[in-house]
Amino acid sequence: MTDYTPAATGTGARARVQRFGAFLAGMVMPNLGAFIAFGLITSLFIPDGWVNKIAGTQTDVSTQISSVVGPLIVILIPILIAFTGGFRVYGHRGGVVGAVALVGAMMAPVALPWLTGISLNGEEVTRPGSIAEIGPTILAAFVLGPLTAWVLKKWDNAIAGKVKGGFEMLVDNFAAGIIGGAMAVVGLYIVGPITFWISQGLGWLANALISTGLLPLVSIVVEPAKVLFLNNAINHGVFTPLGIEQAADAGKSIFFMIESNPGPGLGILAAMLLFGPRAVRPTVPAAMVVHFLGGIHEIYFPYVLLKPILIVAAIVGGATGVLWEVIFNLGLVGPASPGSVIAWALVSPPDNLALNLVGIVLAAAVTFVIGALLLGFGRKESAVDAAIDLEAAQEKSAENKAAAKKA
Amino acid sequence: MTTIDGSSVKKVIVACDAGMGSSVMLASTLKKQLAKNGVTVEHSPVASIPADADVVVTQAGLADRARATVPDIPVVPFQLFLGDPVVTKLVKAIQDGTTVEV
Repeated sequence: MTDYTPAATGTGARARVQRFGAFLAGMVMPNLGAFIAFGLITSLFIPDGWVNKIAGTQTDVSTQISSVVGPLIVILIPILIAFTGGFRVYGHRGGVVGAVALVGAMMAPVALPWLTGISLNGEEVTRPGSIAEIGPTILAAFVLGPLTAWVLKKWDNAIAGKVKGGFEMLVDNFAAGIIGGAMAVVGLYIVGPITFWISQGLGWLANALISTGLLPLVSIVVEPAKVLFLNNAINHGVFTPLGIEQAADAGKSIFFMIESNPGPGLGILAAMLLFGPRAVRPTVPAAMVVHFLGGIHEIYFPYVLLKPILIVAAIVGGATGVLWEVIFNLGLVGPASPGSVIAWALVSPPDNLALNLVGIVLAAAVTFVIGALLLGFGRKESAVDAAIDLEAAQEKSAENKAAAKKA
Repeated sequence: MTTIDGSSVKKVIVACDAGMGSSVMLASTLKKQLAKNGVTVEHSPVASIPADADVVVTQAGLADRARATVPDIPVVPFQLFLGDPVVTKLVKAIQDGTTVEV
């Protein structure tokens, strides 16, 4: 054991939260291609999408192609997430039983007469008549995918070595079939209704945050969490599922924009480029390209960790962007992942494109101005800053960490 | 501090949270720099670093999780994704076959 492996357990609170977030995000992120296909088809072919807008009329071809949108979001994406959750716990067999179990939960609002939603905007709530009318059951997928795979894994471990030679395939296949089928029933009667109500509650809360104009306050949590490498956890563990629920209903969602706005990061990098410690300035231009165009936000986090006060700039800039988006009722049709300005443009509904891009510029400008102020426009560069070199900064962060651990 | 013998490094893993974004970027840079030395460079999520890695490179904020995944493999934490001196030192040690204190 070297100094490099002191905390072999990695039990810090931050590591724990990161790990749980990575567990959720890990079910979503391998499937981002499906989300993006959904986003692109939506922005191109829905009734007020690009194709009809450019043609100036409702074209038949866009009506036909837009029939793909609903099944992608309410059927395929939740099943992919359940499969991936199961796969990560117990390989392909785990993925299969997880997907089977989810179908039970998906059908709960269709099959159960006592399960009705709450009214969000005064409209009467109608029960879905078929699978085409349900909402996306991502929360149920997060639960049933890994849980069902885990049950199968326990079963397989329990009977390992006890099966008579030649009967392995029979036992394996029927174990998976019976456990998957039984968990579909559990999904229908228990997990489906519970996650349905939780989703309804979250949807109500999200609507309340938007309609009261309090949504920009989430930046107070989101921006600091991002630079602690909780960006994927927050975006794909929380906002992507919320956004998908909203987009299935309204065609777009503001929740896809909150974490993925590349504006605050660009503002931080611009402030660092002009007014940051001189030793790090040369590394900034390449970072700006990777961040803003490539959408890899991780690249700006270390600059904030180097000058933690900059988080204030990111929070205010991020909140400015969200406020702008709330005021003009903006949204993206699918998750912008990675959070690049190009991804934003591609998943913006035609009517929102210009204002969405303004939201990025505003967030960047506000972050930059506040960041520049906090850095004293570079003039106040103290002896400490002038002497800053990365190795010293690293030692310091190691010390901070050691101190934090003791505390 | 730990000492890494550059000449014995045959497989470098660059790890990040999802194993799809920043790690891919840094891995492709290191791959180019180390291609001549016959060193394999791969990227992975911190939660599933392959056990046959000789050294793991990851951002300091994820180092604890990397160590939890592979307690017996040296983890080199860096700050900046581009132009970090620690990464430069490691690359140089592997290229020259010298040892490096990281």
